[in-house]
Parts: sequence; structure tokens; C-alpha cells
Amino acid sequence: MRLPFARPSRFPSRLLLLLSLWMAAALAGGGCDGGHQAGASHAAQGPRAGDAHAGAAGTPAPRRGGTIVTGWNAEPQGVNEFLVAATNAGQEMLFQLFPRLLREEPDFERHPPTFSPALARSYEWSADHKTLTFHLREDARWSDGVPVTADDVRWTWQAQVSPEVAWESSYMKDEIADVEAVDAHTVRVRWKRVYAKQLLDVNEGGILPRHAWGQIPFSRWRQSGEWFKQHLVVDGPFTIGSWKPQQEVVLVRNPSFYEADRPRLDRVVMRIIPDQASILTQLDSGELDFTPAISPHDAPQVTANPRLRLLAFPYRSWIALAWNGSRQPFGDPEVRRALGMALDRRAIVETIWGKFARVSESPILSVIWAYDRALRPLPYDPSEARRILAAKGFAAGADGVLRRGGKPFAFELSTNAGNQQRVDSLVMIQEQLRRIGVRAEPRQVEFNSLMARVSAGDFDGCVVGNSMDTSLDLTAFFHSRAIAKGTNVTRYSNPEVDRLIDHAMSLPEIALARPDLDRIQEILHRDQPYTYLWESQRVSAFNRRLHGVEPSMLFSTYNLKDWWVEPQRH
Amino acid sequence: MPGYLLRRLAAAALLLWLVLTATFVLLRLVPGDPASSIAELPIPKAAKEKLIHAQGLDRPLPEQYARWLGAVALHGDWGFSFAQLRPVRTIVAEALPATLLLAGAALLIEYGLGTALGVAAARRSASALDKSIRVVTLLLYSQPVFWLGLMAILLFSGRLGWLPASHMHSVGADEMGRGAWLADLGKHLLLPAMTLGLAQAGGAARFVRAGLLDVMGRDYIRTARAKGLSERRVIWVHGMRAALVPIIQLLALSVPSLLSGALITEVVFAWPGLGRITWEAILARDSPVLLATTGVSAVLVVGSYLVADLLHAAADPRVRDA
Repeated sequence: MRLPFARPSRFPSRLLLLLSLWMAAALAGGGCDGGHQAGASHAAQGPRAGDAHAGAAGTPAPRRGGTIVTGWNAEPQGVNEFLVAATNAGQEMLFQLFPRLLREEPDFERHPPTFSPALARSYEWSADHKTLTFHLREDARWSDGVPVTADDVRWTWQAQVSPEVAWESSYMKDEIADVEAVDAHTVRVRWKRVYAKQLLDVNEGGILPRHAWGQIPFSRWRQSGEWFKQHLVVDGPFTIGSWKPQQEVVLVRNPSFYEADRPRLDRVVMRIIPDQASILTQLDSGELDFTPAISPHDAPQVTANPRLRLLAFPYRSWIALAWNGSRQPFGDPEVRRALGMALDRRAIVETIWGKFARVSESPILSVIWAYDRALRPLPYDPSEARRILAAKGFAAGADGVLRRGGKPFAFELSTNAGNQQRVDSLVMIQEQLRRIGVRAEPRQVEFNSLMARVSAGDFDGCVVGNSMDTSLDLTAFFHSRAIAKGTNVTRYSNPEVDRLIDHAMSLPEIALARPDLDRIQEILHRDQPYTYLWESQRVSAFNRRLHGVEPSMLFSTYNLKDWWVEPQRH
Repeated sequence: MPGYLLRRLAAAALLLWLVLTATFVLLRLVPGDPASSIAELPIPKAAKEKLIHAQGLDRPLPEQYARWLGAVALHGDWGFSFAQLRPVRTIVAEALPATLLLAGAALLIEYGLGTALGVAAARRSASALDKSIRVVTLLLYSQPVFWLGLMAILLFSGRLGWLPASHMHSVGADEMGRGAWLADLGKHLLLPAMTLGLAQAGGAARFVRAGLLDVMGRDYIRTARAKGLSERRVIWVHGMRAALVPIIQLLALSVPSLLSGALITEVVFAWPGLGRITWEAILARDSPVLLATTGVSAVLVVGSYLVADLLHAAADPRVRDA
């Protein structure tokens, strides 16, 4: 999953990334229970998030009840996940209303993520890994009292793949041949082929209420955004108490939720505040209890307030300088490597992000189990960069600018306007390249225009943001068949990488693809289609009266049902 | 007068048509037009074509334009929001009252404060007070609205904690009684209205001062003073009446700056008005909403100019006879 140019300070959510033009291949991918065997049954288990705090020394015991006020910079756009464009707030909200079959745990650092029960209490694979049987919980009910059944799961899949619904992530279901309701609480999913992301693909998307929303044919869904809101039936920990457009959405406890002791909070008010400075002020004054993401530059203001806490956690993006391999001299891997060696990436990252980012070396994030720790960071070595370029026929002219065949080494260095960190990096890159005699001309381009230009190959060098989740599917970035789709923006083409990606993605478990992934990273590190710049953290801020907050790479309110709050002190 | 009225109405209608047409064309020319937004979705080609067809985006541009303009002019139907999946008319209808309330309050501040400062400056023309007011009004007038808003939030909300930093109501306002609910609304309105109104008040004050100084030396004012009328009555009744005509015109001229200022103010203060939905529509590339908010703003601006022209004509017969 990827998005070369994340929109300024908003929409970092998983599904918006999917929406992007740049996403051709699968998103969520590849993890499944580490080391399980075909045919084995999985009563998926995960630690009960939030409980770790309970009873810990010096920590008050969790309590039930209370209201918290949270600040978001964009409003959810609806309650039907398959219709609305994803906003950060929207995806976080829908995650609380409609649970998935399983919960992907954020335990991806040492092995592929595991899955804990949600609507499905267990699942089992067939011997050929083409059939997966889910056993649903018998105690799951919709908020109107109707049981959640296998029929809901089958109908949800039909909605997901319906061309009339036109769900933006429907391609994740392309390989699913059928979803069968075996009985009220047993669902059997059959795939056309075996591949690494089967579990992630089938688990994508919440399960919707057929008895309530099935009243409207799929052909009318896109005209019925308000209807779904007015006929909301949920099975998650929260439902919607009220919704004031452009103002706030109030989530209230769903008494029908299958976990009797969850959620702990009575109400979660999602205040919509587009201005980041206003969010900070309200956090500071105690009007807000939580905000999912603040700028690293605002972190000192938050830490200066003893009532507030910061929580930095891994984010799924890597920022890199994409070289247009179809233009010379960027088609030459050695030239790209020389340009990368001319950059003091550590200085760039420390200046822009402080302690909230690290220099990246690979499209696979360093917090993910498959990151190749044997990779040696590309050194900052301007002398070596000059030597390589000299060997390639570049010689300094009277003005200090390198020339080859009388032509100066000058190029346009672009990024999307409005993203301050990337804009700042352009200036530093320009200066560092100038020192070796390369003239980069920074240019900020409006988001949509830049997307169109980069997709069409109309650029030289461009600072882009890509997103990589636990699927570890590198097809869209580096496979040669993604060049025509416009997602392989560097036009990188390497038959060995193509073969390795195809092989990795064809395995029944992504864990088995470790040798492929290591080799891919090694080749990419050598060829440098991108000069990797940084991978940043996301920084949530919240009031210390709030407990149990454990954001994940997927959702900052991942375990909202476990959060609890001390009474407001006056 | 009827002939003048007809001429002005025809000019206003022409202007509105031009604005709507230019907006429609521009939004189709910029990257991210509705059809290309759908084309970018990672969904099957057939699904994209179906969506594009359902929205009428596969028809020739002139036909799309004619259908859209006809629906707007004949039925007030601004179309369907791609992003929010609901009629644009509903979205605008929800937002318009909030903007009118904010703009109304800002106008009150603009003219209340502007008139008071302008009169004070005119009464003590060339004094230290006049010079101080000039500096203050120029300072206010030259401040960008977003900066003024942020400073107001930092001071009145962050530092002093007197006023809320955003929204129309507090959390849980629905459970308040009517009086408390109104007080809560007033409290939330104060900062954004001040932000929007204060910057404009600087201009109004300069205008009132100049208008008053222009009439205060005239014979009828001297006569009023000679009759022994109090200075307050001379200024507020005789002086201000004559200075009122240009001020009414200034009122009409304030509407465009109020609306453009509202876009920023509403975003900074999370005020749920037209400016806010315009901002959201830009980010979501929701061109039907953008067309509607531009159109409604154009109606407000052209309408206010029309009213000002008519009032001016009513006050000064030379205008309508020209």
C-alpha cells in the first residue's frame, strides 16, 4: 500500500492510502499466525490491551464510565465504509462501530502480525490453503438485538465486490472465489489461488448488517449516504449518539457489544478541529483529552504541560527521493548511488524531525520483522560521490557545476506543496548536492498536479511518501508490471526483483518469504531507485487522566474499548 | 426608479451567471476534476464507467454545464456531493445559518466599534486621541485574519481561559436549558466574530471619520450648533445622518471581505459555516460543493451590492437618473 504524497497533515489512514492513484497492488497483507500449520485450528489469541495498566504499581485501577473529548482535524464522511473516501477520523470511527472477523495485532516487530478474535472466535485452513473456515461468536448481536450471522459475512463480501458499490479496496477480494454461509455461525471462504496475503485480504473491511442495510439494493447505495446514517445498526463497542456536521460526532457505549465489560468509557466525543494550533491550545487547556497526531515541532509544548503525555509509535510511511530511471543520468544505478552518498541524511532527519524519525534504508520499515538488519547504511561520503560521478564522465565547469558532454548536471527537485517537512528537505538536499557540483532546482507543486506528473513520468527527482504495511507487498513500488500502472514511479525494472516479489507473494505465509525479502532489499539497496530519507513516528498526545492508550500502526484508537478515564479534577 | 431597478437586476443576474460559468469551467480544467477523481479509484473499469455515467460526467462538457445550470436556476439543485454522498443543497443549508450568524455578529462589531472609533477620532481631529486611533485602526486593518484568530485563541482561550477556542457549542450543550444554550452560543461566537469584525472595524472607523469630517464644517452643522444643540446631538443626529450614505455603501463592500475572511476564520475556529465546507470540499476535491459555495457566496455579494445600489439611489436621486 502506498501513497507517494500524503496530503498535508491529514488523511494518513490506511484506506485513503488505498484510494490513491498509486496503489495498484494489495494493501494489507501478508501476516498470519506465525508458524501455524495447514489444517490446524486457530483460536487466535492476543494480549488483552489496556489490562497491562490495571493494578500496576502506582497506577489506579481501571474504572468504568466517563466521557472523553478527542480532537480530529477532519470529519468522518459517513458510516458505510464501502462508500466513503477514507479520512483518518472516519476509519478510526468505523473501526469502533463495525469489528472485523479478526483483529490484527500490532506485534509485527519480530514476526508477522498475529490475529486475535473479534467476530470470529477461531479459524482453520484447509490442507491446500485455499479454504478458510471461520467460526463466529454465538454471542455477537447487532445493536437492535439481531444476532450477527454467517449470512452477514457472506452479504458483506457481496457488497465489497459489487461493481455498483465500487468499494475502493474491492481489489483485495479479487482472488476470493466464494464466501459460503455453512451455518448460522460458520463461514467458509474459498480462494482461486494460494498467496501470502489471504488472511489480511479476507479480513479487510468491517462486517455490515444485512437485515438492516440490505433493504437498499447495492445499485442505490451511492445515493444513500444519509440513509445509512439514519439507519445505523452496529456490532462494535460503540455506536453513534449524535452527529453535528462539521462539529462533532459523539460515540456512546453499545450495550449490545459482545464483550460485556467493554467499552469502559460511556462516551467519546470526536470534536472536529481543522486547525492544529487550536487543537494544541485545547489540549493544553484541558478541553481535549486526546488527539491522534501532533507535529514533532509541537512536542515541547505538550511535554511542558505536566497534565499531558506524548506517545510516539511507529507509522507506516517511508519518505524517499524518487529518481526517474527513465531519464538520464538517473537511469544509472551508480549515479543514483553517488547522489545518495552526497546527502547527509542524518542531518536532514535530525533537523526536520528531531527524535521522532530515523534514517531509512529500505522500503520495509525498520520496525517490521522482515527488515533486513544486515543492510549497511548508505554512507555520507561526498568525496566518493564526486569520484563516482567523475568516473561517469562528469567534470566540474568554471562555475563549479558538473558537466558531461557540455551539459550541466542540473535537474528539477520537486515535492508536494503544503508538506512542510518535505519542503524543508528540498532546501537541504539542494545545498548538499551543490557541494558536489550538482544543481538541483527545488519546486513545490500542488498535490494533484504532482501526482499526475509523477505518475506520467514527467519529473527528475521527487521527494515522495510511500506507505508500507505488514503485507510487505512491494509489487506496486518495484515490479516492472507496475510501471504501466504508474505506481512504480521510478520506472525501476529488474527481472530478479520481479521474480522475487512474485515468489514472495505466492507463498502461503509471508513468514516463509524472508529469504526473498532479504534479497530484494539487498538489490534495492544496491540499485537505489530511491534514496531513502526517513521513516517517522506518529506522536499522539493525551491527558494523563486517560489510561490504557495503546495506539498501533493501524489505528491510534486501536484499543479504545480498553481506555478508561479518571474523573475530571476541578 | 423601476427602470433603474430593472437595469440593476439585469446586471446582477448577468454577473451571477458569469461567476457561476467561470467557476464551472475552472473546476473542470484544474487537475482533479470529478471524472478524473473517479478514474483514479482502484476499482474495476466497469465500476468506474458506471459511476462516471451515473454522475453524467461522460457527457460533453457543454451538456454537463447546461444540465447543471438548469438544475441550479430552475430547482435550486446544486447536485450531489461525491465525498459526503448526500445532496449539496442539504450541506449548504446546514452551513449557511452559521455563516450568516457569524457574519452578522462580525458586522455588528465592525460598525459598532468602527463608528465609535470614527466619531471619537473626528471629534478630536488631529489630537493625540485621533492619532492613537489611526494607529490602532491601521494595525487592525493590516492584520491577516488567520493570525488575528490564532492570537485571539492563544490569549483569550489558551492564556486567560475566558472563551472557548472553537466550535459553536460546548460538549453536551444539547442538555442545557434554552437560556444557557444561547449564552453558550454567544460565548463561542465572540472570538470568531471579533476576529472577523475587528480587522474590518479599522476600515469602518477610517470611513466614518472621513465622512464626519467632511460634513462637520458645513453650514447646517454650524446652524445646529448655533441653535444651542448639544455636541452629541449635532454629531449623532445631524452629522451622522449625512455621513450615513457612504457608510451604507461600505456595508455592501464589506460582504466580500467578510465571506473571504469567514473561510479562514471558520477553519481556525472550527465554525460550521460556508467557509468551512468550502475548505473541506477543496481538500476532498468535491467540486459540486465548491460550485455551490462559490455560487451562494456570489449571490450574497451581488445581492448586497444590489441592495446598496438601491439604497444609494433612494437617498440620492442623481444616481438613478444617471
